[in-house]
Amino acid sequence: MSGVIDVSARNPPRMTLAQRLYLPAILGGLRVTIRHFLRNLVHIKKLPTILYPEQKRDYSGRFRGKHILKTREDGTLKCVACYMCQQACPAECITIVAGEHPKISYEKYPVVFDIDMLRCVFCGFCVDACPKDAIWMTRDYEMTFFNRQEAVFGIDKLIERPGEQVKDGYGYRPYYPGDGTIPPTDASAGPVIPGDGERAKLREECLLPVYRPSAPQLMNG
Amino acid sequence: MTVAEIATLSAPAEKVRSRLAGTAFGSRVEIRDLDLPTLEVSPADWPGLARHLRDDPQSGFDLFLDLAGVDNLKRRGTTTRFEAVVHLLALSRTEHLRVKVLLPDAESPKLPSVADIWPAANWFEREAYDLFGFDFPGHPNLRRLLCHDAFVGHALRKDYAPGQRWFCAEEDMRMPAWAMQPEEAGHFETQTLSVGPSHPATHGIIHLVARLDAEKIIRAETQIGYLHRCFEKMSETHTWNQVIPFTDRLNYVSAMINGVGFVRVVEKMLGVEIPDRGVLVRTILSEFSRIMDHCVCIGANLVDIGALTNFWYLYQPREGIYGLLEACCGARLTVSYVRVGGLAIDVPDDFVARCQALLESIPKFLDDVDRLVTNNRIVRNRLQGTGVVSREQAIAWGMTGPMLRSSGVPYDVRRAHPYDFYDRFDWDVPVAQDGDNFARYLVRMEEMRQSLKIIRQALEIFPEKGPVNSSDWHVTLPPKDAVYHDMESLIYHFKLIMEGIRVPAGERYEWIEGANGELGFYAISTGGGGPYRLKVRPPCFPNMAAFEKIIVGGTISDAIATLGMLNIIAGELDR
Repeated sequence: MSGVIDVSARNPPRMTLAQRLYLPAILGGLRVTIRHFLRNLVHIKKLPTILYPEQKRDYSGRFRGKHILKTREDGTLKCVACYMCQQACPAECITIVAGEHPKISYEKYPVVFDIDMLRCVFCGFCVDACPKDAIWMTRDYEMTFFNRQEAVFGIDKLIERPGEQVKDGYGYRPYYPGDGTIPPTDASAGPVIPGDGERAKLREECLLPVYRPSAPQLMNG
Repeated sequence: MTVAEIATLSAPAEKVRSRLAGTAFGSRVEIRDLDLPTLEVSPADWPGLARHLRDDPQSGFDLFLDLAGVDNLKRRGTTTRFEAVVHLLALSRTEHLRVKVLLPDAESPKLPSVADIWPAANWFEREAYDLFGFDFPGHPNLRRLLCHDAFVGHALRKDYAPGQRWFCAEEDMRMPAWAMQPEEAGHFETQTLSVGPSHPATHGIIHLVARLDAEKIIRAETQIGYLHRCFEKMSETHTWNQVIPFTDRLNYVSAMINGVGFVRVVEKMLGVEIPDRGVLVRTILSEFSRIMDHCVCIGANLVDIGALTNFWYLYQPREGIYGLLEACCGARLTVSYVRVGGLAIDVPDDFVARCQALLESIPKFLDDVDRLVTNNRIVRNRLQGTGVVSREQAIAWGMTGPMLRSSGVPYDVRRAHPYDFYDRFDWDVPVAQDGDNFARYLVRMEEMRQSLKIIRQALEIFPEKGPVNSSDWHVTLPPKDAVYHDMESLIYHFKLIMEGIRVPAGERYEWIEGANGELGFYAISTGGGGPYRLKVRPPCFPNMAAFEKIIVGGTISDAIATLGMLNIIAGELDR
């Protein structure tokens, strides 16, 4: 704790002669700008500005950019369509439709996994919510679209392809190298048992549009 | 329980009771002992009580903080459907008080306006009229404020379904009635000038309608709401943690402070304690955000009055702070870093080193701006004596933060109600006496230096290692390692994500010092996973309400300089 300082006492409203003369302050100001100019000229490599897009800013390993859906060793999605990320999303931009996995040991998988990049606020809540280490974020922030439909990224745009370089590298993720977290173990790629046909059919019939309580509706024409 | 009957009360409520006991309101006002002393009053008694609370030397509640409407349609244990909840502050004792005006008429809720008692109430009442449909007889200008004129219904009522959109055509946009009528001045015909909504000098989308006699503004009115997205309604349909990304978009220049302010109210309702390390991270990043906010305010304002260079010098420290925030949480502007019960993730290993580097570099830029501006006669002529707000006006208009301090009132929440570790730090509250734009500039410059001082001391006591989150798994998500391999943790994780944090039923008002003043959050919980009602007290809302009064008598160019120094952030203003 301490006191109160009166800043107007330090800078009284009545100007001093030097201030009224105008020139001393201007020369002092010029000194500042010329010093900056010379310093920048000497250290031209250290300029704070960046010539984007030729040069790109180096972001940290926690940057929250485009999402990526992690895959198992056999190339299938780690996602088990549990809807946790969809529920956690404050922008309601994730749409999941679950299906029955042909390998019964994996049980569920997302038939549809859409992220509407125009709604997404890049808060990282989906990464925090995922219990299966299936969704990470990357450092890729360059997403351009020509129309709104294109902005809905499906599995094909979000999936991590084994052996392919992740654009700009990984960003925000549930754990980082060296923090001691052991990634979840997969259900072993067991024998392929076809799913129960009846259940699969019932799920097919449930492929309805996802109910969103705050989806916009125009009320007056 | 009337004031006369009640037996035992907490000390602050007892004080309020004893002050009221001898007056005419003693038997007509009910007193409740919540987080703040709360008075319950009928609409008929409200203006009388208001006048008493302001004028009675023992009460002296001179600053009107906030008016929040509440719709009790889906809430049990209340007597009336609608309530108007007013928060007041007595500056001399820095004491808060809540007054609930219970509105018995559910069909057409009505309460008398108190805009003549506290001019600050003017816009807050318009907001409640707009979003709740409360009628305020006696209000000077009761029009919609945040929603447009083609909007049907009152968005924050519980029977208003979220997600409805109303189309506003150009012919629906209305100018104030006085602006449409020609008016003769002595020798000159006056003209009406419309600045904005989209104008480089308005720093956001704000519409200023001014009537000019030659160059002098003789009447003005501001219209806001162009960035309104009904943050409060959105909060009601989301869980407590899901509100955090929305708070980033209130005052987006210092997003961290909003998040800290919001989670504080939830943590207080839950009774959760945060480890010191987590609290200090919040403090350090909040203070850095405050510096950033002041940098933007001063830099942009100096651009408005023609001093461009300072903008670059002030944006460079801001860039460094953005780098620090990005390294901590992964985003520069909309940080979403805090969570109820702690932080999203622990800070990186080089956090302290990065903070130290910023502490080294920021004062250099501040000194440069100081040398360029403070003694410059042009700047002084532009800022001194313009946009003057006297001490009495500042209080009446409900100003807080740098605006109030530059009018000579040393009210700073960090000093008046020290939260976190602010009482342990050695720092000064800068005040100025003149109440003009130059005083605001000086106060903000000094506040940045004081923030650096606070950060320096916070880093000294910053624990090198340790948890940043509460270990209560009813509140914070379990560590990922446990979620992956332990069923029990997975269940906690699942419950928190799918249902949200169960906050005990009740209500609470918590306030912190935002970059622009007192940032308050008033939350009501009914025990569910999300807020029943969340009201934010945006610090720049009363400032902007006063703008149309400050600029009258000055020129348009002074109005621009004043607008910049009010530091209006449209995201917070319009919510």
